[in-house]
Amino acid sequence: MSDAAISRAVHPWWASRRLGFLAAALVIAALPMMLTGNYWQTNLTICAINVLLALGLDFILGYAGQLNLGQSAFYGLGAYVSTLLITRLGVPFWAAFAAGVAFAGLAGMILATFAVRLRGHYLAIASLGFAVITYQILLNWINLTQGPLGIYAIPPPPAITIPGLPAISFRNPVALFYLVAGVTLLVYFILDQLVRSPIGETLTAIREDEVSAASLGINTALWKVFAFGVGAAVGGAAGCFYATFVGTLVPDAFFITESFTILAMVIVGGMGTLIGPVFGAVLLTLLPEVLRGVGDLRLMVYGAVLTLVVLFMPGGLVQAARVVGARLGLSR
Amino acid sequence: MTLLSAKGLHKSFGGVRAVRDISCDIPEGTVFAIIGPNGAGKSTMLNLISGVYQPESGSLTFAGQTLAGLPAYRRVRLGIARTFQKIRLFKQLSVLDNVVAGFHVHHDIPAWHYLLHGGAFRRDQARCRADAMELLAFVGLAARREALAGSLSYGEQRMLEFARALATKPKLLLIDEPAAGLNAAEVDSLLDRILTTRKQGVTVVVVEHNMELVMNVADRILVMDYGQHLFEGAPAEVQKNPAVASAYLGGELM
Amino acid sequence: MTATIVAQQAINGIVLGSLYVLVALGLTLIYGVLVQINFAHADFVTLGAFAAYFVMHALGGQYLLGIVAALLVGAALGWAINITVFAPLRRKGNELLPLIATIGVSVMLQNAMLAWFGPVPYAFETPYSQKVFRVAGTFFTLQSVIIIAVSATTIALLYAFMKFTFLGKALRAVAQDRETAGLMGINPNTLIMLTIVISSALAGMGGAMLAPVLVLTPFAGASVIVKAFAIVIIGGFGNVEGTILAGLLVGLIESFTTQYLDPGLIDIVVFGLLLLMLAFRPTGLISERREENV
Repeated sequence: MSDAAISRAVHPWWASRRLGFLAAALVIAALPMMLTGNYWQTNLTICAINVLLALGLDFILGYAGQLNLGQSAFYGLGAYVSTLLITRLGVPFWAAFAAGVAFAGLAGMILATFAVRLRGHYLAIASLGFAVITYQILLNWINLTQGPLGIYAIPPPPAITIPGLPAISFRNPVALFYLVAGVTLLVYFILDQLVRSPIGETLTAIREDEVSAASLGINTALWKVFAFGVGAAVGGAAGCFYATFVGTLVPDAFFITESFTILAMVIVGGMGTLIGPVFGAVLLTLLPEVLRGVGDLRLMVYGAVLTLVVLFMPGGLVQAARVVGARLGLSR
Repeated sequence: MTLLSAKGLHKSFGGVRAVRDISCDIPEGTVFAIIGPNGAGKSTMLNLISGVYQPESGSLTFAGQTLAGLPAYRRVRLGIARTFQKIRLFKQLSVLDNVVAGFHVHHDIPAWHYLLHGGAFRRDQARCRADAMELLAFVGLAARREALAGSLSYGEQRMLEFARALATKPKLLLIDEPAAGLNAAEVDSLLDRILTTRKQGVTVVVVEHNMELVMNVADRILVMDYGQHLFEGAPAEVQKNPAVASAYLGGELM
Repeated sequence: MTATIVAQQAINGIVLGSLYVLVALGLTLIYGVLVQINFAHADFVTLGAFAAYFVMHALGGQYLLGIVAALLVGAALGWAINITVFAPLRRKGNELLPLIATIGVSVMLQNAMLAWFGPVPYAFETPYSQKVFRVAGTFFTLQSVIIIAVSATTIALLYAFMKFTFLGKALRAVAQDRETAGLMGINPNTLIMLTIVISSALAGMGGAMLAPVLVLTPFAGASVIVKAFAIVIIGGFGNVEGTILAGLLVGLIESFTTQYLDPGLIDIVVFGLLLLMLAFRPTGLISERREENV
């Protein structure tokens, strides 16, 4: 077989990236029209925020192989930093958004710098400790965060005016969904480009074996800090959107169980792939909504699913899809 | 000309002195073997050269530059590559991806290309893959490029690790116990590749406890025993030396 | 006056600390032989506490029988998690999967308890909570005396077991090198099972003694376990002496922070210390430095 033929066999037309992104954009555009009503539109935006959170964690866990249990903290930092800048200092939304993202990313890099000499479990505990500290600070620094009382009446992003068209107001939940989903798609594109570049090769080498990676000239400490920076920044972006979408902020939204929920989304979808966590996040966001009867037991279902997937299908939905695909003769 | 020079190296672990006062000069373009019975400190020497350990005292000079304090990953950029005694491949990655990862220090395109995958990026990717395929062909694994590294046979894994180390384009290649776990045919094939590599101008250090194995490939041999320098010389001299013979007496190959 | 307050807080800190040691020791023992963390350890603490509560109430105030029940429940849970999670995943050889699976078990157990027992705290009054001693201006309950006595005895027994019995020595051998243990003629799987059962029994027992001091809710264990993690790291993972020292230290930090700063700052102080330790002394208070063999 020629190289071109091999390339066609490995990447058939229906697996083409451009078509994938186009299809994703169409689905995003169509969803609010198909699923109308306040209830669904709320859930769609929550889905998009959770996808963003899961993508951020997956970059750290699935690619660089570092178990980060502090994603809830980066989420919370993004939310509080952007919101406080907007409500206290009157900073414009997009500047506050950038600051929230940067702050979360920086926090991730600082945590990783501290914890970088540690491997596997130590890092998990250190990041859990970071999540606990962050939560407690949000709860106890009442002068700044108003503690458990929370911050109310957070405005939506300012309307976008394009000359010649009616202004797009983000008080309209559909417009806000388009904004969040659009940014999520952009983040997906960026991460996809990164993991298909030598950066992806470097991170997976670290995930597979750090000593070996160092023997190939990889500065493992530096790249772990990089992975944490990117993943935490994406988590911070999710936090900014959460604050402006819900309109209120209380520390409990960023308790450590939120980290476990995000972890479940990544694992259920399939860590180490980008598409997996997208479906994992959507599934785990909608599952309790579909199973209304067990609504109270949302977290119990998450816990059970997380354990069962690790035990029986550690590659998550992506692995399941591959197994089914192989049965149907679709894959190579 | 000397490529690597060690002077008075010391290293101990929890009171056990693994390497004691070792000095040696490794000439450029040779195969230099470090041999000795198990526990002689050979692997520790290799870890000191590659930068996994730092010596307690003594110095290492590589191509005129001191290696003091340089971590392992920085030494790769200078041109020091290695394989491992207990094979350490990226088991969940494909054979090709294992070798491609070895090109880490040789991507010289601007960072923004990683985001936008322009023409220079695609050329760099194609070049890496072509070079990797060439290395795989060299070690006889071209047909298995899509297989997961963990699914290869033991002998194939050693060959792959060798190819991956070559991908860093080393001046000095450190090979730890190349024959461990291989059958006679695989050993011959590997030794043959090592000689070819030397002909291409790469200096090779082989750590091995099987003395017979290195006799035919090594230009110079350092014999270690209990962390100490026992003898250094050409293979023929080593074979005749009584101290070496007594160190090996009691079962090891001689 | 000040001296009395200091003495009082020192007593409270040691009571609390010795409980933390019980919980943290289990984590550190498991880490020693398995190089794994059991996240559901927290919920073994809580379930032990509930077992003690119900047994005590069913038997008309027999608190000591409650402790025994908690011990047995903990041991059973340890056995269960080993055969369902740790043993099957050990064969896969991925170091992160077992930890992730036990996070799932923990989330599941916590919310099952929430559904079953409800969020309202249970008043766990033991017959010994009311008996108060006063010594030189400080006061402590018979309950605290029991806690310290039982913890100290357990820790001493465990220490003696590890140091002087064949099984204990084998355990330490596995912790250092799995192959050596094989040479001693012991099946490492049996030892791992034994370690997890002992550790989980300690967790259950710790729960039975913690619950009367703290509030008993489905999240009682979770609030303790994050501190236990901190203790295990501050003490040095797998290091028994370090864990005991760190446990008492964290207990004291907690009681003095409550007295002189603000109870809301406890976690911040403890985890601040943890992060500092990780940055400057990652091998723990009592360090045994090990370089990786390549």
